[in-house]
Amino acid sequence: MSDKKQVSRRQFLNYSLTGVGGFMAAGMLAPMVRFAIDPVLQPSAAGKFKAVVEESELTSEPQRFTWKINQKDGWYESEVEKSAWVYKKENGEIVALSPICTHLGCTVDWASNEEYPNQFYCPCHGGRYKKNGVNIPNTPPTAPLPLYEHKVEEGMLYLGQAKSRGSGV
Amino acid sequence: MRWNQEDISLYAESKEYIDTMIIPLIPFDVQKDELMKKQAFQKELLKLFASEVEKEYKGRILLAPEYHYISGRHKEEVDRVNHWIGQFTNLPFDHIFLFTLDMNWRKLSNDLQGEIVWLPGLQSGNLQSSEVQSFIKEQVSQIAEMIRSYW
Ligand code: FES
Repeated sequence: MSDKKQVSRRQFLNYSLTGVGGFMAAGMLAPMVRFAIDPVLQPSAAGKFKAVVEESELTSEPQRFTWKINQKDGWYESEVEKSAWVYKKENGEIVALSPICTHLGCTVDWASNEEYPNQFYCPCHGGRYKKNGVNIPNTPPTAPLPLYEHKVEEGMLYLGQAKSRGSGV
Repeated sequence: MRWNQEDISLYAESKEYIDTMIIPLIPFDVQKDELMKKQAFQKELLKLFASEVEKEYKGRILLAPEYHYISGRHKEEVDRVNHWIGQFTNLPFDHIFLFTLDMNWRKLSNDLQGEIVWLPGLQSGNLQSSEVQSFIKEQVSQIAEMIRSYW
């Protein structure tokens, strides 16, 4: 009984190791195949996201980070600076908000107004947003702050396009 | 807001929110090469300052067309500058800031109908270098704070 168990365990190990090896081989092959057959897709998909900051630097308090992208704007191609307010929710989820006020485009600050310590505040016309970027009714903005697409790879936070979230409240 | 079609259309619809104007004052003198070089550099620097401040407060500041003048005749320019300012205050604009690196306005600042903002001059340099960029960023946040104090 116990013998059989041993064998089956060894067998199991054997199988699973082969399995892992197989996966590893497949994992190495897959990108090569992709490169070979589809070299065009690769750079464009990767180029959309930019490394911004190490995930370990994120806190539950929003912090402002900046990075640069090349932007082609009509006649000119130029390097423009982008920025985002980034924080981590209690459940570990990352939130990256555009700092551009949805009213007329000023740059909002986190907790810069003493009366509203837990809100984003726009110094131009007193626009306010909750921590999650949703605009507060009866202030000039009529839409939430756009959210950046994000992903984490090897401990590094990458941000992509800022997506507007409609007309909100 | 900038002086381009898109922003000016937005301005025309939202005038009540945009009450602050920045006019960059840009001198030039073609008599001496050295001076010309310095002024060309300072013009770039000044435009950068103005556009960074505008970016921060796009929704409340309008960046006017640049005011160019031949250096050395500041007294004669006062009327023309004030004429510009008069046009803008009629729109209306409550706060007019004149951005300049030209110290020759010093003695005339009382005659001008706008608020002169002296920007720290660099004689020359590379605007792409990271030292110059962080210097500019630092200055821009101070200028922004100063402007906010008027609101
Ligand atoms: S631009 Fe932010 S409140 Fe108007």
